[in-house]
Amino acid sequence: MMNMPFFELQNISKYFAKVVANKDISFTINRGEVLALLGENGAGKSTIMKILYGLYKADEGHIFMEGKEQRIVCPKDAMELGISMIQQHFALVPAHTVTENIILGNVHGKIDYKKCEKEVGQLAKVYGFDIPVKAKVSELDIGVQQKVEILKSLYLNARLLIMDEPTAVLTPQESDKLMEFVKNFTAKGNSVIFITHKLKEVMEVADRIIVMRNGRVCGDVKVKDTDETKLSRLMIGKDLIQPEKSSQEKTEAAAVCLSVKEVTLQHKGETPLLKNISFNVYHGEIFGIAGVSGNGQEELCEVICGALKTNHGTISLNGKDITRENTRDRIAEGIGYVPVDRHRDGLIMNMTLAENMMLKSSFDKRWIRNGLINKKKLNEYTKQAIENYKIKAPGPDVEAKGLSGGNQQKVILAREVDNGKELLVLNQPTRGLDLGAIHNIHTVILKERLKGKSILLISTELSEIFRLCDRIAVMYKGSFMGIYRSKELNTEKIGLLMAGYSDEKEAASQ
Amino acid sequence: MNARIKDLIITNFLAIMAGIILSGVVLIFLGVNPVAVFGEALKTMLADKYTFGDVFLKATPLIFTALAFAFTFKANLFNIGAQGQFYMGAIVAAAVSLKLDGVLPNFLLLIIVCILTLIAGGIIGGLIGYLKSRYNANEFLVSMMSTYVVLALMNYLLRTFLKEAKGEYPQTDALTRAAWIPTLLSGTRLHMGFILAVVVAAGVWILLYKTSLGYRIRAVGSNTLASEMSGINSKKVYITAFFMSGALAGLAGFTEVNGVQHMLIQDFNTGIGSAGLGIAILANANPIGIIFAAILFGALNVMGNLMGRMPGVNIPSSIIELMQGFVMIFVIISYFVRFYLENRREKRKIKKVVAQ
Repeated sequence: MMNMPFFELQNISKYFAKVVANKDISFTINRGEVLALLGENGAGKSTIMKILYGLYKADEGHIFMEGKEQRIVCPKDAMELGISMIQQHFALVPAHTVTENIILGNVHGKIDYKKCEKEVGQLAKVYGFDIPVKAKVSELDIGVQQKVEILKSLYLNARLLIMDEPTAVLTPQESDKLMEFVKNFTAKGNSVIFITHKLKEVMEVADRIIVMRNGRVCGDVKVKDTDETKLSRLMIGKDLIQPEKSSQEKTEAAAVCLSVKEVTLQHKGETPLLKNISFNVYHGEIFGIAGVSGNGQEELCEVICGALKTNHGTISLNGKDITRENTRDRIAEGIGYVPVDRHRDGLIMNMTLAENMMLKSSFDKRWIRNGLINKKKLNEYTKQAIENYKIKAPGPDVEAKGLSGGNQQKVILAREVDNGKELLVLNQPTRGLDLGAIHNIHTVILKERLKGKSILLISTELSEIFRLCDRIAVMYKGSFMGIYRSKELNTEKIGLLMAGYSDEKEAASQ
Repeated sequence: MNARIKDLIITNFLAIMAGIILSGVVLIFLGVNPVAVFGEALKTMLADKYTFGDVFLKATPLIFTALAFAFTFKANLFNIGAQGQFYMGAIVAAAVSLKLDGVLPNFLLLIIVCILTLIAGGIIGGLIGYLKSRYNANEFLVSMMSTYVVLALMNYLLRTFLKEAKGEYPQTDALTRAAWIPTLLSGTRLHMGFILAVVVAAGVWILLYKTSLGYRIRAVGSNTLASEMSGINSKKVYITAFFMSGALAGLAGFTEVNGVQHMLIQDFNTGIGSAGLGIAILANANPIGIIFAAILFGALNVMGNLMGRMPGVNIPSSIIELMQGFVMIFVIISYFVRFYLENRREKRKIKKVVAQ
């Protein structure tokens, strides 16, 4: 009994239309263990946990509990087995009190509120939670709301607690308290699964780590047998190769193109997404931002492109303040943006290539003749792009979804390079592409740099950062860990910065 | 692409057949032989010129309300309130026609009435779009409820300012011939409004697929995030799309008042808003497809009428609505069936890729 794993997942696969979310996932969870599920955004961590919790139905595979196969088709089944999941976005009713939220779904007939409140209060005391049981959830801080969520699971006698990015909304102090609870909870023979992409956190709290990439398990290691470099290698997928010095000449005396000053972005009552970020990008320079994805890179891009408004700070392009300009004006000023999620933000999949090529310039008079779209001119332009960027497509009239990922990316790049006359913002432009396409895109980026454009390159691939960038900033939890010349950094140093250690001593003392 | 068109044709055909067969079953319960009755009705419809003209006459307002639904549908919005926008157009058509009757020559009067009904419907639609973009109100509910507001307004006006001179019924005076839309085919009730509907459908197709405004409407409908990232103001698109949608529904008021009823009557054409929705879905929101789907519904309507009046058999006239209702339910179900089929196909495709 003791040797048998608490839960076991065997060969689980899940297909969504168009995407493989999980493929052949197998791993075990033992009693009294903190298991971390580590992987980049979109690696399939949340999906596999939603399958375990009964929110999704697996297309293939089996789930065992203590050696016995279980069918989990809805969260109620999971709860009966002692599984509880705390979602990134809490499932609380804001207008109800803490007690009402906790007993929700578990009381019948007339409710004895006094008794329930007492029960909840006692349970909170056992785990050292300081929670006002009569207060309305809408009046509580995010950190306390999370405790209510946890308490809800404990009320149901959860023995396996799944937490999806639990520290994403917490301050460091609150995070510490959460970690304390996790240790306390597992000491009693219960298990916890942490979904996260933060290496530092994993090293602190987990016993064992499952690393996921592209919907598959690519590592199952004990914390004591690994370190952060090994983990990031597993997570990102390729060996971190030695830095390649960029072969181009330096452009010292160039003028500032993009200037970001003290930019802060924070949604009400949450931890800031961007904290006081300042940097300049010069003409003819590639400015790289390294970091594990999900540390504020996407928000920074969107702030620069105008899709998000800053709470504080200014952004200027060629000396002109553009902080208050909307996206359309910024496009007209010459900012091109290649977003990280090309399906969501970059392309309209059921439109043709030609239509996608005019997406950014739909207000431009050059496409209009006699009030109608000049199809001939647009097709010529698209054909030219297909030729110049070696896009494998039959012609301008095929729908974007018919192309492979690499060719879709080339379409976006062709459009943005042409629109971004001054500045190109590239967020992981080679993510998920094959080597040929990557080489192609790198060539384009270097060519545009020689033309004098400014390029802001966000990447999680250190090799890419080192190969292309003149200067590098490392981003962690919404702020810069420092800005360095490409030569000043090596793989080890950048790895530590990415994990949130500002110098080597701090790392050594951990 | 090919599989999708095949799905569209097959599922729609099955949906229409299922609707007709189910109404046939109801007829059997009434002790009537459905095959004989359907056959007789079809024969009369095709043989009699007046009845044949009615098919297109009934199709005319349906083309407008279907276009109204399709237009917002392309922006991924739902305008369920075509009925109300149609009534608003009808109110303005009747009021303006009565005022200008005999003052202006026929042609000029029709143009003015046409433009004003368009604006009247558009304002109701635009208001819904404004509430959507300003307060993020659910356009589905707001548009649905707006119908009842306009209906109440119409009833009020018909009892007060627009009430007929005789003062007996809640309806307006009849328009004189000077305000009628000219007949298209002599010996029938079919009027030029049908041509207008076809031209407008073609115009909507050009607007949606050939102009940059239509391009932006479709872009927002297909991928709002990518559109906003590209500098397109989706809120503005919502208002524009809803204004145009309302305007299209308003035009149905013009053709019904000036072309068919020649007056405004309480509670007339109560079903054309919802019928338009079904037609738009049947035609996959394609403006040209809508013309044909509307003619089909017009034919169903006429056939139902014929069956109700058939000598010797006792069929209640409500069989028309029943038949249309059945067809519509199945057409709407077929839309979700197509979605399911498409999803399953994609899933199978990706499984094959992974297996390799």
